[in-house]
Amino acid sequence: MELKNLANTNLVMLSMLLLISKVGAQNSNFGTWEGDLTPITEIDWNYERAAHLLERAGFGGTPEQITSLASRTPEEAVKSLVYFDRSAQELNAFEHSGIHEPGLDPFPPSRPATTELAKANGEALGVKVKPTGNRRLQPVVNKFFYWLRASVLETNRVSYWWANRMVASQNPLQEKMALFWHGHYAINESKVRDYRKLLQELELFHEMGTGNFRDLMVAVAQDPAMLSFLDAGVNIKGAPNENFAREIMELFTMGVGNYSEKDIREAARAFTGWNYDGLEFVINQADHDTDQKEFLGQTGNFDGVDVIDIIMDQPITAEYMGGKLYKFFVRDNIDPKLKKELGVIFRGMNYEVAPFLETIFLSKDFYSQASVGTHIKSPVELAVSTYVKLGLTDAPGVPDFNRATSSLGQTLFRPPTVAGWAGGRSWITPGLLLERGNFVRDILFPDINFIPPDRMNGSREIQSVAKRIRDGLDITAATQPSNIGAGQVMAESNMLADRDEDFNTRYGSFRGWQMAIQRVKPISRHTAQINLSSMILSQNITNTSEAIDYFIHRFMTVTPGADSRAMLIEFLTDDLGTQNILEAQSYMEDSLRMTLHLLLSQPEYQLS
Amino acid sequence: MTSKAIVNNKIKRREILRRGMAGLGIAGIGASMLKPSAFTSVAEAAALAEANGKILVILELSGGNDGLNTVVPYGDDAYYRHRPEIGLPKSQLRILDDHFGLNPGMSGFEELFKDGKMAIIHGCGYENPSYSHFTSMSYWHTAAPNSGEEYGWVGRLADNLDSTGSSNFLVNVAARQSLAVRSQQHVPVVFDEPSRFTREAFSQEKEALSHIADVGDIDNPSRRFLLDIARSANDASELVREAWSNYSSPVDYGVNSLDLPKVVSLIESGMPTKLYYVSYRNNAFDTHVFQNNVHRRLLTYTSDAVSAFVRDLERIGRADDVALMIFSEFGRRVPENVTLGTDHGAANVMFVVGNGVKGGHYGEVPSLTKLAEGDNLAYTTDFRRVYQTLISGWLEHGESQDILRGEFKTFDMFS
Repeated sequence: MELKNLANTNLVMLSMLLLISKVGAQNSNFGTWEGDLTPITEIDWNYERAAHLLERAGFGGTPEQITSLASRTPEEAVKSLVYFDRSAQELNAFEHSGIHEPGLDPFPPSRPATTELAKANGEALGVKVKPTGNRRLQPVVNKFFYWLRASVLETNRVSYWWANRMVASQNPLQEKMALFWHGHYAINESKVRDYRKLLQELELFHEMGTGNFRDLMVAVAQDPAMLSFLDAGVNIKGAPNENFAREIMELFTMGVGNYSEKDIREAARAFTGWNYDGLEFVINQADHDTDQKEFLGQTGNFDGVDVIDIIMDQPITAEYMGGKLYKFFVRDNIDPKLKKELGVIFRGMNYEVAPFLETIFLSKDFYSQASVGTHIKSPVELAVSTYVKLGLTDAPGVPDFNRATSSLGQTLFRPPTVAGWAGGRSWITPGLLLERGNFVRDILFPDINFIPPDRMNGSREIQSVAKRIRDGLDITAATQPSNIGAGQVMAESNMLADRDEDFNTRYGSFRGWQMAIQRVKPISRHTAQINLSSMILSQNITNTSEAIDYFIHRFMTVTPGADSRAMLIEFLTDDLGTQNILEAQSYMEDSLRMTLHLLLSQPEYQLS
Repeated sequence: MTSKAIVNNKIKRREILRRGMAGLGIAGIGASMLKPSAFTSVAEAAALAEANGKILVILELSGGNDGLNTVVPYGDDAYYRHRPEIGLPKSQLRILDDHFGLNPGMSGFEELFKDGKMAIIHGCGYENPSYSHFTSMSYWHTAAPNSGEEYGWVGRLADNLDSTGSSNFLVNVAARQSLAVRSQQHVPVVFDEPSRFTREAFSQEKEALSHIADVGDIDNPSRRFLLDIARSANDASELVREAWSNYSSPVDYGVNSLDLPKVVSLIESGMPTKLYYVSYRNNAFDTHVFQNNVHRRLLTYTSDAVSAFVRDLERIGRADDVALMIFSEFGRRVPENVTLGTDHGAANVMFVVGNGVKGGHYGEVPSLTKLAEGDNLAYTTDFRRVYQTLISGWLEHGESQDILRGEFKTFDMFS
């Protein structure tokens, strides 16, 4: 298959070759590849398969990147992605804004807990209670809200930093694996409330993501973000809290139905005393239960690491994890036989992730009809791969990456539940499908009314408090709820805000935001630097159908139907007033952008 | 007709029903591109909505609401023995009768109960309870505990009420579609922000954007799925956005409206929707630690939103046509834990709210002294009895064996 120097190939030739390669693929043993884990051979290797590999092991690529991968052997190509060289690239470390202060650790679980603490101790969060006067606790409440807001904003900066790595990294699998583990070990900022812990856990995934699963499980179980998220700190001898042990078994290793409730209670005892202090893991020996435990048929004085090792001895663990990795990287539907086989392989590799992925990425099943073009991209995959395919080197600041992926159903560091994102078809609803098209439009035609969400608070309530404070109203008058109709009953929640004479929650919420934006560094708000005209002209394209074919080739894994292609050609031709690209080259940018918006709004663009 | 004209024109209910999908021709779809069946099914759905204007709304409280600190059995000393720290004293409660009081944060629920518009159903659960959020929720979603049922009970109900799968019959306001609405015949209308439920585009793009490829002989199942969703999005988005932009209410829903104003806006606009599904999202009720403050706050938000919903329906003159069911995937364990919270439990209370409801207590109150395994409430009411009551008692739908995979005794709950 001579598809290795595509970038310079004449487009007509290109389309013909693609057509041939597709027909050829269908005529080979394509249909029987499903379920076959044996490796493909060099004669099966081509541009399309290299593109598929890059889609799944990373976030897709430009034609140049794919061509380069296609020019190697399949083994070399897969190895270059799986056994990446960490030292080969310099990615900037996260630049902290410097928002944390010693008094903020440990952060109380709620505002009421904070004010109760302040009343009892005369101070909280490093802020003293005023000796006399009105609203003596107000500075404490302000500080409480400051940290809530600042940690959220700083977490959004961590997300941006990560998104930029996903777009730019020479080791895309490192980022893709981190994304997998982030969904697997799903922790949420709204509970952890400390960006530092989230960043530390992400660094763990970057570091150990393709290493040994058992080691990673131990590291995560001892990670302050996870310990805090699953309330491990309150799991103590004599009063075990089962949340941590339950989730480790149900979600992180074995899956529901493979252990008893008693196993959970016993495992919880083994984890007693595991806690964190700031960003460090600690074991409080006095809280640790040193008695015998009976866990999954074994008896002993187990601690948490022993429990994890016993879990790793269960064949079901390798099956559960092998299957989960397969779903993420290959496809949703796998039959039980294949799942069992994957379990045997993963266990045989002693839970080493990299060789397991190597096996998958080389397998015939990975390139079978059941796998290629059937994966529905997650919002983060959609956004990052769109940027990659446009040839960008970072995530633009407009549209806001976090806002955009959130409105598509995925916010980094805010998975919806402990089980992470459900993935697959759950990514798509009628509403979300339209949003995906709107996201593409926001890249190609940036919103001129864009207001950075890391500066302006979107809450009408906070905006209205801010205005009334600025106008000189006192706190009580400034914080009255503003949007209740005349003669209507006020909701109870709205009556609670100024009930306590020692502080006002609404004012604290406003002031906390103001303090946060004074300290959190801004996110760069550059727009995407795209020039579709020169992209098209550089390919020696002369007419509108070639332009459409190039876009399809560059952006789509699944080619839209002939009627859609015809519709796009007609649209571009109409909008340019000619079929001739060279004639239209001085004014074609807007038309090309609209056309690309139409193409990337197609249902087929959601597939990888 | 242009889309501008539609937006500027407040569409009357009848008119929207009559026009059905034809009204969507505005997006540039030529009438010839619509399958004839689409007209028939919209007409049928409209007819159905007219024949029996009753609407069912489901509100899910995700995370496992602590029913014992919601409807507090203050008359039972055992409650205080199990919960010495987090048990709510009688003096703080909103007293309903000589045994139960509501959580202090729930003034809205208190009023609904005292007005006779709220049924509290006790001891709801199922055999061999799961303590996993996801598993137990999936049992409630599918109404098929301990099985691998693929479709949701609300989805099966929709299939049963209208086997043609007509557009806009089933609405789920959510970031992700709930398993409960997963249906064989219907593509549920799932959206989050109505104002964003639209394709933003230049006017010359509109016609091309509304082009949906024919599913035809496509054998890639993911692609077929996406094309079906695209069609549903085209059918619903204009109507939903329109309804929301016309909606304006003076009613105070409080801090978290739980998407109920969106439901009211669609009802007001005359959408042919029979079934709505909304939720208190993100596992909010999972109160393992220091629960009392946060739990009270969650309940206040819920109570505010639900009572506002009823007032808002009164405002538009549709309160008699709507019943709202509230549930959670499980209750919490009866004894408090050492961190002033509660762990995953079993049986729980459910609520049904509406003008048509005969208010009061239903179901046997579970014992606090004879607990089930793991210190849990033993269930006394199969939760599917409540589903059955809504299907046959409220929606007056007879053939329901297929929906719940069995017959369940109903409560005499509706007047």
